[in-house]
Amino acid sequence: MRTLAIYSNKGGVGKTATAVNLSYLAAQAGVKTLICDLDPQSSATYYFRIKPKLNYGPKGFIKGGEKINKAIKGTDYKDLDLLPADFTLRHLEAAIYKFKHPKERLKKIIKLFEAEYDLIIFDCPVTISILADNIFHASEFILVPLIPTTLSVRTYRQLLAFCRKNNYDTGKIYAFFSMVDRRKNMHMELMAKMVKEYDGVLRSLIPYLSQIERMGIDRRPVAASAPESVASKAYRNLWVKFQKTALANKRF
Amino acid sequence: MDNHLKFSLPDGYNQQQLAGALADHYAIKKEQPVLMSMAIYDTFDWRLFNKSLVLYTFENSLFLRNLFKNNIIQSAVITLPPVFIWDFPDSKLKAQLSTVLKMRALLRLTELHSRSTVHRILNQDEKTVARLVSEEFRSERGKNAPVLAAYLWLQPVKGYTKDCRHLTKRLEATGCALLKKEDIYFKAIEAAGLNSDSYSSKLKIQLDPAMRSDEATKIILRYLLQIMKVNEAHLEKDLDTEFLHDFRVAIRRTRSALGQIKSVFPQKPTSRFKKDFSFVGQLSNPLRDLDVYLLKADAFKAMLPTALRDDIDPLFDYLRKNRSKALQKFIRSLQSKRYGQIMQDWEAFLDEPVQDPPLACNAKVPIIAFARKRIYKQYRRIVKDGSRTIENTEDEKLHALRIACKKLRYLMEFFSSLFPSKKINILIAQLRTLQDNLGDFNDLCVQEEYLLNIAEEPLTTGHKQKKILVAIGSLIGTLEGEKQIIKDTFAQTFADYASPPNKIAFSELFASKQKETVR
Repeated sequence: MRTLAIYSNKGGVGKTATAVNLSYLAAQAGVKTLICDLDPQSSATYYFRIKPKLNYGPKGFIKGGEKINKAIKGTDYKDLDLLPADFTLRHLEAAIYKFKHPKERLKKIIKLFEAEYDLIIFDCPVTISILADNIFHASEFILVPLIPTTLSVRTYRQLLAFCRKNNYDTGKIYAFFSMVDRRKNMHMELMAKMVKEYDGVLRSLIPYLSQIERMGIDRRPVAASAPESVASKAYRNLWVKFQKTALANKRF
Repeated sequence: MDNHLKFSLPDGYNQQQLAGALADHYAIKKEQPVLMSMAIYDTFDWRLFNKSLVLYTFENSLFLRNLFKNNIIQSAVITLPPVFIWDFPDSKLKAQLSTVLKMRALLRLTELHSRSTVHRILNQDEKTVARLVSEEFRSERGKNAPVLAAYLWLQPVKGYTKDCRHLTKRLEATGCALLKKEDIYFKAIEAAGLNSDSYSSKLKIQLDPAMRSDEATKIILRYLLQIMKVNEAHLEKDLDTEFLHDFRVAIRRTRSALGQIKSVFPQKPTSRFKKDFSFVGQLSNPLRDLDVYLLKADAFKAMLPTALRDDIDPLFDYLRKNRSKALQKFIRSLQSKRYGQIMQDWEAFLDEPVQDPPLACNAKVPIIAFARKRIYKQYRRIVKDGSRTIENTEDEKLHALRIACKKLRYLMEFFSSLFPSKKINILIAQLRTLQDNLGDFNDLCVQEEYLLNIAEEPLTTGHKQKKILVAIGSLIGTLEGEKQIIKDTFAQTFADYASPPNKIAFSELFASKQKETVR
């Protein structure tokens, strides 16, 4: 089982849209995939038309076990299930501290799924505290959407510094450009600079497109609703690049 | 997939009715129908069916599932339709089936064409909460071909069990019945005019204990003749080695029955047919020997040191050439006048009504008395001879003991329906353990001798001939070592067989309670 977090310490960068589309594309290729919605806003849950309702609350979530398994819902797509989120997850960080080994709770929870899934994708909320530690411990790869703006690049630097300080392997962090507007010179310049400056920046970008925003109305991954669209092709390209670079074409 | 529920469709049921039944709670979205053409495979003796397995091809893949279940246990991609297990690509499927199929060929039993339409059942959020799949099966392609069966599958979506329960109730209310013990396999087989009971190499003879011995013996012999005929019809096609094997076993059993079920028929025909079947059995000896060596080719190669493994190949090429000659010769012999006459006379003899008053002294004895006496006598003989053999394990004595065991095995199998099946099956299984030991030893002796003989023939030329002799020499050495190992285990295997609890079990089941008039 492989684990991939779509993570950023900055909001509104396209994490959920990426998680939803990549999980869909993986499942379409026959990879048994579970998307874990960790965000109390439960947008991924919403995109798949699943009710954001959990019976266990944040404490129950951290305890893990069979309850979590029961909460998993099948999506409309073959080989793709979702662990929904709900608003109570806003207390998740506070709850984590009440348990032993607080940084490794998430890793423990997902052990349960090893036999059933080939890939787990975490759709993460904005965080750089204890939940981020959990995500870094539980994930084999971290994929960070980057809007080519100064502030976004700055938060990326902060993230790398955080990882170095906590001795997390920065080698598992991959970034890609999101919400790119090719008409803006600044976007183009910053992208060129970033590719030079950092390893692990995938040469793949997701343009700023209304098709992606429309996912909120369609409530389906854009890769499913408009497979031939530019947006869909961009996600497919990202998924291929990620597999080639991070997985080095290894199989699931 | 294991949790898919299958429903029957009431006559005249249509999709509008389906939508109507669910309309107040759910919306239905119909998808494009999917067409599938499958071909179902099994061996002549239904090895897969007997293990509740269904093997079929679809497009360029092979799939294995359990009867009455829908989930695929194993699958593998193939380039050609499968025949033998060694043609399968290396896969879990091959590993699972190798112990089932062994050397038997797969036959394409029938085709099955399905047309399935998925109806997604949507809740108020337009989320799919279940799928209803209507599926029609036909044995021929095309919409006009008659439908063998039509089912409705309810495929639950994970996390929506409540909806699934609800839908099940709704479907049942509209007259759909939940089907648990039904599989399209049976209908497809039936439509192809096949019957899974049609053939088994095991004896399934039903006798009545009070039956006259001559009548019961004729039932056994007629059953064996039937096996011969069924297999004979396939010998020429040379699909696999087991048609001949089963054909030969039926002959051997016939000879054994004629020899052991004594004085139930008049002397003259008995000795004539004994001789005749000895002749018939010998016709295929050379062919069967070659089959055995060729089936063992891989095992023989594995016995050799790596450096010599390829050197033995000319031997198998030589055997293969000889085999095709032997096959031609055997097929010709089946078409001979003498063979035809024997089989015709034999059938006529078996069809003659039993004579009253009888012409043989045991003819009228109840078969149960006869069976008890013969089996018990043979058992005691084996115990006596075996105990002597333990002290002196000469090859000839082991050989004689093996023959005696085989006779006992045949007797027990002929008459098994006369005794409580659980008890007699345990005793047969114990005998089999002893037979395996003796059989392995005999196989090694025969193989050793065969190799010694064949080494004198020109298998190939020049340098290669020398190399092959080295390889054969090495093989004989290994066989000799294995012989000794088996010999060493004989004493313990026999002691287990002749143990007091086993003796008691035999005596309880077979020792005569009163003096009976079997001579």
